[in-house]
Parts: sequence; C-alpha cells; structure tokens
Amino acid sequence: MSEIRLQQLTKRFQNLLAVDRVDLEVAPGEVMCLLGPSGCGKTTTLRMIAGLESATDGNILIAGKRVNDLPARERNVAMTFQFYALYPSLTVAENLAYPLHADGLSRTQINERIAQVSKVLDLEGILKRRPHQLGEGEKQRVAVGRSIVRQPTCFLFDEPLSRLDIQLRQQMRTQIKEVLEKLDKPTVIVTHDQIEALTMADRIAVMRDGRIEQVATPHDLFAYPVNTFVAGFIGTPQMNLVEATLRAVEDGPDGTARGRFDLLGESFAARVEPGVRRLPAGGRVTLGVRPRSFVLAPPGGEETLRATLDLVEPMGAELLLHLLQHGSDLRCVVRHTTRVTVGETVGLRCKPGQLHVFDENGALVQ
Amino acid sequence: MASREVRAIGQAGWGRTLGAAAISLIYFFPVLFIIMTAFKTRSDALAWPIKFIFTPTLSNFISVFFRVTVEGGAAEATGFGLYFFNSLFIGGTSVLLALIIGTSAAYGFSRFPLRGNDTYLFMILTTRMMPPIIAIIPIFVLFNVFGLSGTYIGIIALYTAFNLPFSIWMVKSFFDDLDRDMEDAARMDGSSEWKVFRKICLPQVYAGLAATFVFAVILTWNEFVFALLLTGTQTRTVPVQIVRTIGGALGVDWGLLSALETLFIIPVVLVTFALQNQLLRGVTFGTIRR
Amino acid sequence: MTSLTPVQIPPQTIAAAPSPRRSARGFLGWLMAPERRGPMLVAPAIATLIVVNIFPLLWSYGLSFFSYNAKYINRPPRWIGLDNYVDAFTDPEVWDRFTNTAVIVIGSVAVQLVVGFLLALLFAREFPLRRYLLMLVLAPMMLSLSAVGVFFKLFYEPTLGFIPRIVQTFTGVPFVILDTPTKAIIAIICADAWMWSPFVMLLVLAGLVSVPKYLYEAAEIDRASTWRRFRTITFPYIRSLLLLALLFRTIETFKIFDVPYVLTEGGPGTSTETISVYLFRLAFNYFRTGRASALGYIVLFGVIVLTSLYLYAIQTRRSEAG
Repeated sequence: MSEIRLQQLTKRFQNLLAVDRVDLEVAPGEVMCLLGPSGCGKTTTLRMIAGLESATDGNILIAGKRVNDLPARERNVAMTFQFYALYPSLTVAENLAYPLHADGLSRTQINERIAQVSKVLDLEGILKRRPHQLGEGEKQRVAVGRSIVRQPTCFLFDEPLSRLDIQLRQQMRTQIKEVLEKLDKPTVIVTHDQIEALTMADRIAVMRDGRIEQVATPHDLFAYPVNTFVAGFIGTPQMNLVEATLRAVEDGPDGTARGRFDLLGESFAARVEPGVRRLPAGGRVTLGVRPRSFVLAPPGGEETLRATLDLVEPMGAELLLHLLQHGSDLRCVVRHTTRVTVGETVGLRCKPGQLHVFDENGALVQ
Repeated sequence: MASREVRAIGQAGWGRTLGAAAISLIYFFPVLFIIMTAFKTRSDALAWPIKFIFTPTLSNFISVFFRVTVEGGAAEATGFGLYFFNSLFIGGTSVLLALIIGTSAAYGFSRFPLRGNDTYLFMILTTRMMPPIIAIIPIFVLFNVFGLSGTYIGIIALYTAFNLPFSIWMVKSFFDDLDRDMEDAARMDGSSEWKVFRKICLPQVYAGLAATFVFAVILTWNEFVFALLLTGTQTRTVPVQIVRTIGGALGVDWGLLSALETLFIIPVVLVTFALQNQLLRGVTFGTIRR
Repeated sequence: MTSLTPVQIPPQTIAAAPSPRRSARGFLGWLMAPERRGPMLVAPAIATLIVVNIFPLLWSYGLSFFSYNAKYINRPPRWIGLDNYVDAFTDPEVWDRFTNTAVIVIGSVAVQLVVGFLLALLFAREFPLRRYLLMLVLAPMMLSLSAVGVFFKLFYEPTLGFIPRIVQTFTGVPFVILDTPTKAIIAIICADAWMWSPFVMLLVLAGLVSVPKYLYEAAEIDRASTWRRFRTITFPYIRSLLLLALLFRTIETFKIFDVPYVLTEGGPGTSTETISVYLFRLAFNYFRTGRASALGYIVLFGVIVLTSLYLYAIQTRRSEAG
C-alpha cells in the first residue's frame, strides 16, 4: 500500500514559517497537485517529502513508514527538478541510467530500461547527445525519463513545465498525464500554473502562506471554492468578487432560496444556496460570479446588475468584456458574435445557481 | 526515537571546523610567529619552547626606524623611513601610470578588437610570464649606459611596464563584463565615444580599477629581483633591504626583521580583506572570474 | 477604427542631420577617428612594452651571438655565432641547473596541486567560522617571496628554528636541514608549496562552489555513491581549473628565484641553484653576458610554449563554462 501522508507538517526557517501544519494524503496511484502563488510553501513541502529539507515538526509517511529521519537517498523517491538538473558531463543515455546503478542491475537490464523509457518519451534520437546540446523540451523529457526509469515509491515534480513555451507545454501536459496514468504511483506535482494543475491532477491542494486552503478535485475546486482566495485563484478570467450587504433571503421558485443584496449602489437579487439563510440580515458578504456565469440582458429589474462597458478584449471565439460600475471592475465573457459598443450601459444577470456567497470571513456559504 | 537531523546538502558541522582549524594553523603559524616575534624582546624571541605568553615590547618597531649607534647618543634614523617611502612611492606611481595606459589599451582591446587581438594579448601576457632574469640582463646594461641605475625614473618606468600586462588583462576583463546595451543606448542618444567612455563605462569599472590598482601595488610592493639590481642606496625598496639585513656579520636581529616584515604586510592584509571578492580575479591576472 | 496614415517626414529634417565634424578638435579628433580608435587606444601600452620589454629582448637576442663581458664595457663584443647556444646545450652545468629546477618544479607543483585540491574540498562546504579560517589559509600569499626566503631561513636554522627544534625533541639530536642537497631541495619545495597551495585552493574552490546545488540534490535522489558523485559531477567542473592551476604554477615555479637565492643561495654547492639563480650569477657575478643572454632565450622559449598552453586552457574553460 504505497501512499504519501503528511501529518501536521511544519517547516520553519529561522523567523519564517514556510509550511504551517499541513495535513495531506495522497492515495496510491493518485496524482496530487500542490498549487499556489510564489512563496506559499509548496516547493518546500515537496522537498520535505523528498528529504532535501528537514521537517521542523510533524510526520511524513511514505508507504506507511515514517521517513522524517531518513536521508533522501534512502527514501527511494524520484524527483524531476525545475531546472532539470541533468548531469552536464554525461550523455542522455548515461543520465537515464544514472539512478539504476544503485539498484545493482546488470548492463543488459539497464539498457532495456533505457530503451523502454526512450520509446515512451521519444528520446531515441538524442541518446548520445549531451545536455547542453538539447532543446528545452528535450531536456525536460530526459529529466522526466530519469525519474520514470526506476521503480520508486512515489514521483515528485517541481514545476515541470514552467520553462517551456505554450505549445510545448500543451504537448508535455498530455504526455506526462499518460505516463503517470500508466505508472500508477502516488505523484505530487508542484506548480503555480492552474491550467497545469487542472489538467494533470486527480486532486489539487491549493496553498497560501504555508497553509492548505482547500484540497479537492479540479471540478470541485472550480464549482465549490471554499473561500475567496481559492475562488479568485482558480479560473481564468478571474472570478468577479464584489462586496455587498445582505438584505434578506426569501423563498424562491422550486424551494430554492433567493437572496437580495445591496451592491454597487443598487439592489440585486439572485438564487443562492440555502445556507445563506443563516447569515444575519444587514451583514457584509462577498459575492462571487465567474465571468462566464454572467449573461447580458437589457438593463433594469432586480435580477439585473447595471454596468457600463469600458473595454472589449477579443479572445478568439469569445469576447472578454470589462465593465465598470461605481468604480468596481466586472468581467463578463460572451460569444464573439455578440454586438456591443464601448460606453453603453448593459445589464448583467447571473445564471441560476452560479452565484457564490462568501461570509464576512471569506468562507463559502453552502 | 532518536532523530538524526537530516542536514541540507552542502552543510557541515563543527567537526569540519576543527579539522580546518588545524590545517589553517599550518599555513598561518609562520606568519603568526613573525608577528609575535616582532613584539618580543631578543631573548624571548629565540626562547624554546616557543613562548606564546610574553610581555610585548615595541622596541623592535622603534628600532626599525631609529637606532642608537653610540652609547648614550641620540637615536638616528636608520633609513627605513626612506625605504618604506620608496616602496610606496615607486609602487604607487608606477601602478598609476600603468593603470592609465593600461585602461586605455584595455578599452581598445575590449571595444575595438583588432584583427590580431588575441595575438597581441597573448604577447602581452607572455611579457609578464617570462622570468625577470631574462629581461634584466639587457635592461641592466642599458640602465648603466643611460645612467638610469639607481634613479627613481628608471625603476618607475620599468615597473610601469612590469605592471602593464596585469593592468591590461584585469581591466579588460572588467570591460568585457559590462552590459553593452547601455552604451548603445547612449550612442543612439547622440553621445560621443569619449562621453560614452567617461559617463557610462568608466563609472562602472571604478571598483575594478581600484581593485586592480591595489593588487598591482601589492605585486610591485613585494617585488624583489628588479629592485635588487636597479635601485641604488637612495631608491632602495623594503624587500631588498630585508635581504641585506640578513647578510650582516653580527648575527641577525630577528626581532627587528619581524617588526619590519609585520609593518610591511599590514597593507597587504588590509587589502586582501577588503578585496576578497576580487581575489580570484586578481591572482590569476584577470583570466579567471566567477 | 481610426485609419493610420503614414506620417509625412519633411525632407529637410533628414538632410539637416549634422555631418561628421571634421577639423573640430584637430589632432585629437584625427587620432580618435573611428577607424583609428582601436589601435590608437592600444598604442601607448604597446609602445611602452616594446621600449621596455621588446627592445631589450631584441638587444639581448643580438647579444647572445657575441661573447661579451659587461664588466669590461670598453672591450667590444666578439662575434661567435651560435657558440653560446651550443655551449648552453652541451654544458653539463646548465643541464645540472635544469635538473635542479625540474625537480623543484615537479615536486612543488605536485604538492601544491594535491594539497590545494584537498584544501578546496575541505572548504567547499559551509561550516562555522569558515570565512575566518579561509583568511588564515591565505596568509602565506601575503608575504613577499623574499620575506619567505628570509624567514624560512630562520625556521630551518638548526639551533633557532622551530622545525628542527621540534624534531630535536623527538630525536634528541640537532636536526640540520640545509646541509645535504636532497634536504635542501625538499626544504625549498616545502617553502614554495606552503606559499602557493592556497592559490591552487582558491582556483579549485571557485570551481567547486560554482557547481549548482541542484545537481548534488539530483545525485542524492538518484542514490549515487560519493565516488560516483565526485567523478560525474564535481570533477568535470574543476578539471579545467586544475589544468589552469597546473600550468600557471608550473610557469611561475619554473622562474623561481627569490626563495633559492635567499634561503640557500643555491647551496649547498650548486644543488639548489635553479635556472634563474644560475642566470643571475652568470650575468652579474661572472659577467658573461653573451652566454647569459643565449641561455635566457632558451628559457624564454620554454616559457612561451607553456604560456600558449595556458592561454589555450583558458579558452577551453571559457567555452566550457559558457
């Protein structure tokens, strides 16, 4: 039963608390992404799992065994570094073979493994080259290859795609995902790019300032962000987050709840989750609506928010509309065929059930 | 359960400090000995086992500059004041000249490479690398012919040429490291070449120039061979005099010598400490830099 | 959408661009004209070097074909063709000195490289007080060569120096160092290696420190043995630096003069007389200037070869390090 378990993991660097009581479980065969802005502690956490940093407090368990006191070489983990860390004086083949020497394999076995890995990652043509003769994408594949050539207990990736251009990134994302599915070992990927996380991970742990904000599947993160930070972090273009005051909650059609709010100088009403009833009337809340959750409607009416169109950003098949209302920025995405004029006043309606309400502490109310 | 601290890669503990301390002592001890002896009385200096605890005295330092030759007579200057001055003056002037000429050449080599650039630079480096003995023989004769032996002009001219290759290589390495974009921007804004040099390139290499100056002075400071042959009684430098002192028939006054050498290395120590970041570049003549 | 019409640039503006000033600054302007700039900047330096270095060298080259005694300035030099060179190659004294020099060079450089390398390994990691201990190790390089000669003379002195006295406490017999050729040569090698092994350490340390940390981390993850790690990661980085150290120190040690001159004065006998000391004696004690010039040229040739190797190694290092 190989899995990774982090219990109350903490790391302190002199005055800086980099990782703060992190609890996390990665199931066997699961791909877990640590996602967050720079400095949130994700790389430190990864390095503690690898054994390259020591834990100040807490437990790290790999396959049920507590490994805090084991140096990296005894943990049998495989890691792909952000800067690839390919050995410059060795050829690609020798780089791939490097980890296998510790397993005591014979020459033939080593060559077999290299051949397997080269086929999967398309490295056959460059086996004799040295790292400085490779392009970025090739270097990245060799780095990944060096990880998968062994039989480790788990795989760790530190920002694997950050140095690639967009096209290569899309290619590699799919390739890595396929490889990981076949290998079926617990994997932790650190990234700051949410697209990477959303496409490659089974579950994502969003981190901020050393703490885990939310651990969920990509879908749940998107649909049910647990607080304003996660809501604003996940999803492009960024979710609209506006402060409002809760007027009242009424019963809407079909037993749903309908909330009425004061925001941006006018009244606004939309369907909300039942939990909103528990909030005090007159209390401050934050409303979250994703740009694609708005639809354009003629201005007027309680369920329509009025705003002035400030800027139109073409995004290929869609248009990103930047709107202003009482000094606040709102974003809305519509189809590119929609006819709009800069400066006109439009109405925004929220699609039913896609309004997120966050209480005064920023937590999602469900 | 005893937890072994997993150390980060590249760290070592006090065990290594002890080992390193023992080894550093081997390198430092002779220098320490010299400094200690400078503060010891004659009997203390030659005592065995080596006295680490003793009453320090400044008499040696005074003897460096003044000596009482006649019982009860007045102390007269030994001339070492002159020798120190000579070392400073000759070293400083020649390095300054070398730096001026050298910086101009370095700028030329760096920014306006000629066809035979590498060859010129190679030849320049060779002049520095060759044994001083080889150049000395004809120079000695020439000096005598032209009456330059023992003069300031002669030795300063020689040391200037002596320091030129070093200056050129060092300063060129600094110019090479500069970001050209700023210069190009200035050129596009209409600055003349001289302005670009003065306002953009030069300010950035000031630190490098200072380091080169100091390194070159140190090299010249410690120079012995040329000084031995080409300085006279008035222009003698300290290293020559140190060696001459040892040739006395009365037995060597090690306290005096130690005091002399201690005074002499103070500038070097200060400099090494202040310029430790440029140290590698300095001792390899600008050919290697991190 | 606003249409973009090309901006009309009046022709006068282009024509009014200032033409290069010709006689504006006269001679200086002519000197620093673009085509002449490079050579002009370099000229003063080249001129100085030619006058002070090249000219005497050429003169000395000429002199090497004559028999000349500088003491008797009035006696004109006598042409003897290649005799000086032939003598230099066949004179057993010369070969003797070459051997002395070779022994010292090989011995000292070998010790410097090994010790310097080990020192660099020692100082490659961070440990408490590292910075200060490093400064202590650099102490020898601050002394002048002649001072090293002078003081090591004291250190080696049988009754006063601490080295013989330490040995004496073990053996009970006075320990004389500078009496036999072998011991004298070893004494010089020790002094020289003591002085310059920190230099090698500096070079190698620069290389060791430049190895990116993540390579070692990858090796740790890959469970490489210490030897493997050294062979595949560390050594390639310092290989070229070691070569540079080797060449640099060989060139310098080849020229060694101060220490043998002061410490042993070439003795006992002539066993520690290096080429430089011999040349010195030849030129200034015996005044056989022609001979000395010829021999000097032979040595110069050797130095040029070594320096070329050194420069070649630098170029290689540059392209390696990127």
